[in-house]
Amino acid sequence: MEKLISNYSEQVTPQLKWVTDAQLEQIHYATLEVLERTGIVVKNKEALKLLKDAGCRVEGEHVWIQPWLVEECLRLAPKRISVANRLGERVMPLEKNRVYYGTGSDLPFTIDLETNERRTSTKQDVVDASRVVDALPNFDFLMSHAIASDTNPDVSDLHQFEAMTLNCSKPIIFTAHNAENTEAIIQMAAACVGGVEKLKANPYIILYSEPISPLVHTHDGVGKMYKCFEYNIPVVYTPGVLAGGTTPVTKAGCITLMNAEALAGVVIAQLKKKGAPIIIGGGATPMDMKTTTTLYGAPETYMNYGIMTQLAQFYGLPNFTEAGCVNAPVPDVQAGAEAAVTILMTQLEGCNLVHDVGYLEGGKTGYLPFLAICDELISMARYSGAGTRISRDHLAVDCIHEVGPGGNYMAHPHTFKYFREEIWSPRFFNRYHWEQWLGKDKETPMDKAVKEVKRILAEHQAAALPEGAAEEMQRIIRQREEEIRS
Amino acid sequence: MASIKDLTEFVIQADIEKVKETTAALLAAGEDPLKIINEGLIPGINEVGERFKEGNLFVPEMMMSAQAMKAGVDLAKEKIEGADIPNAGTIVIGTVAGDLHDIGKNLVSMMLDSSGFNVVDLGVDVPADKFIAAVKEHKPSIVGLSALLTTTMPAMKEVIDALKESNLRDQVKVVIGGAPVSQAYADEIGADGYAPDAALAVELCKKIA
Ligand code: B12
Repeated sequence: MEKLISNYSEQVTPQLKWVTDAQLEQIHYATLEVLERTGIVVKNKEALKLLKDAGCRVEGEHVWIQPWLVEECLRLAPKRISVANRLGERVMPLEKNRVYYGTGSDLPFTIDLETNERRTSTKQDVVDASRVVDALPNFDFLMSHAIASDTNPDVSDLHQFEAMTLNCSKPIIFTAHNAENTEAIIQMAAACVGGVEKLKANPYIILYSEPISPLVHTHDGVGKMYKCFEYNIPVVYTPGVLAGGTTPVTKAGCITLMNAEALAGVVIAQLKKKGAPIIIGGGATPMDMKTTTTLYGAPETYMNYGIMTQLAQFYGLPNFTEAGCVNAPVPDVQAGAEAAVTILMTQLEGCNLVHDVGYLEGGKTGYLPFLAICDELISMARYSGAGTRISRDHLAVDCIHEVGPGGNYMAHPHTFKYFREEIWSPRFFNRYHWEQWLGKDKETPMDKAVKEVKRILAEHQAAALPEGAAEEMQRIIRQREEEIRS
Repeated sequence: MASIKDLTEFVIQADIEKVKETTAALLAAGEDPLKIINEGLIPGINEVGERFKEGNLFVPEMMMSAQAMKAGVDLAKEKIEGADIPNAGTIVIGTVAGDLHDIGKNLVSMMLDSSGFNVVDLGVDVPADKFIAAVKEHKPSIVGLSALLTTTMPAMKEVIDALKESNLRDQVKVVIGGAPVSQAYADEIGADGYAPDAALAVELCKKIA
């Protein structure tokens, strides 16, 4: 047995920290000041009453939260949330420094795989995205990617959920219109795992809800969250901002405001139910001051996310961030660069749920083969994030000695033993000599990604649902439609 | 003393203090307040709008210029007794029912406002009947509708239908916008115009007002 040396951590993975602990404390204090001095607006009656009962100063819908209550609720919120897949396997524990990647939701436009034209997204696009995510090895969770524009708008969220869960067994983060539709989606999910109790024990769905910057907590946003807590369903409650529009333009000011909204969410959650599974964060995008677009692929965005992740780690709570989400309208070099930088950074920071992977045009357009390209980037980032092994055998002094000066390593058993884990192999990226590449008809990574997506759509089948579940989901959608109509 | 031409330059530079000073000095010297507005302040903000559209100016700079112009207009207004301040027309604007997105709508409102429109902003989650009531009250030449959600786009059509039912449709032009909205959708629901961003929204409104 190898004798370990003292004071030595054998495997330290690379770490990315953006600020110091002292700077985090400054942000935390600033956040507490905002909550106690400026306060928040709460448009949900139940939350308003709970805050009042907890001793907060309340005037109309305006609420001021004292620091002790924030600290108390941070203590109550779970540090670890276990998330399962549809098959009941606990595949996605949300613990500090465990990184998972997934798509975003609700893209209004899709670049068609056959025609290459940009058109309105449909339910079929959600179906296709779900199957592609189910098959791509580096995607851990699914959001709808596209929006089911061709379904009844009252229940389009239910249609999206049906399309997702039928075609993908990975954990799902869903969006919903209101508390009633959230209830319906929970019932649909329950049907897919054999009942509400099983869903409660091993939730495979997470709600994505949000406050509205600056500092407003809406009736529906909180209502949906409360509905989920009744069923032990975890909730992502994070603001989506435009720095310079809905928050201060300074990065620290933007982060402080988002953190105030997130921590107010923690308080609102814990007052409803002690230990309510809440996931914090904030969509840290500035506004482009020339075009007014939302900046997803920009340096400020990933700089902000670096700090948002550190803040969540400082509180010990699971967090929600973003990467692989680009401003490039089409999957070109800009898209590749924006996606690669952000995906690597989130991996090194140890964010928990990294969503919106594969968004184009700042969250308005989708193209399925770009998901495959992002899958490759995630693979690359995970490989780098695993760090460099420095053990006796990896230092390879015996091997170096055996080969000696002037030899070569190609046929050595040490090379054979390690080359697969020590040299990463891409699925789509090109590494040919020029002539080899000509021989492949100058195939680009995107050509290969298109082929792979078409193969998945032709061949891949998601794990089946229990008998009757599909019918039950349709019944729930019809029932909800009727309720809304009358 | 600074001239009316300088005033235009100060608006472009977003120098609120100099705009105030110059406007006050010109008024004290007996200059016609309407001339100050029309030949000094408005040309400044028009130039700012042009530069923004061409991508040579940023949103916050434009907003500051608008404030500078406003400061000048407010001073000049005090000297115009009874006479109507010229404006490019009235627009009633809002984000439709069920939709809480307002950043884009606010930008469009602010830019229309600084381009001389009288803007009545109804806020977010505005039901059709509120639009109708506002049209009756303010008699605008344009109604602007914003929707960022596919699920709330049909609410734009509902407003158009409600305008028809109230026999108001031929008195106003309807313009629409928002991330998922397109010219094709505008045509489909019978809107009079669509604009993909705030600068083009102003251009559109000026054209059809
Ligand atoms: C910021 C944002 C939010 C913020 C809104 C804050 C606020 N105060 O407005 C928050 C976080 C609250 C939010 C909530 C939701 N959002 Co949102 N959001 C966005 C985001 C990222 C940016 C929108 C924005 O403000 N852009 C900047 C402004 C300046 O641009 P703009 O709005 O497009 O406006 C310009 C033009 O469109 C035009 N214009 C706009 N209005 C008008 C009107 C007229 C008359 C004219 C002529 C022109 C015009 O001029 C503007 C200025 O240049 C977009 C994605 C995107 N890139 O668009 C998603 C997006 C719009 N949201 C989306 C979704 C799904 C939601 C939620 C349902 C999510 C959820 N899980 O609950 C909720 C819905 C809440 C509700 N009921 O409204 C989807 C919509 C998909 C769809 N087609 O249905 C998008 C596209 C993102 C996505 N892919 O998921 N969101």
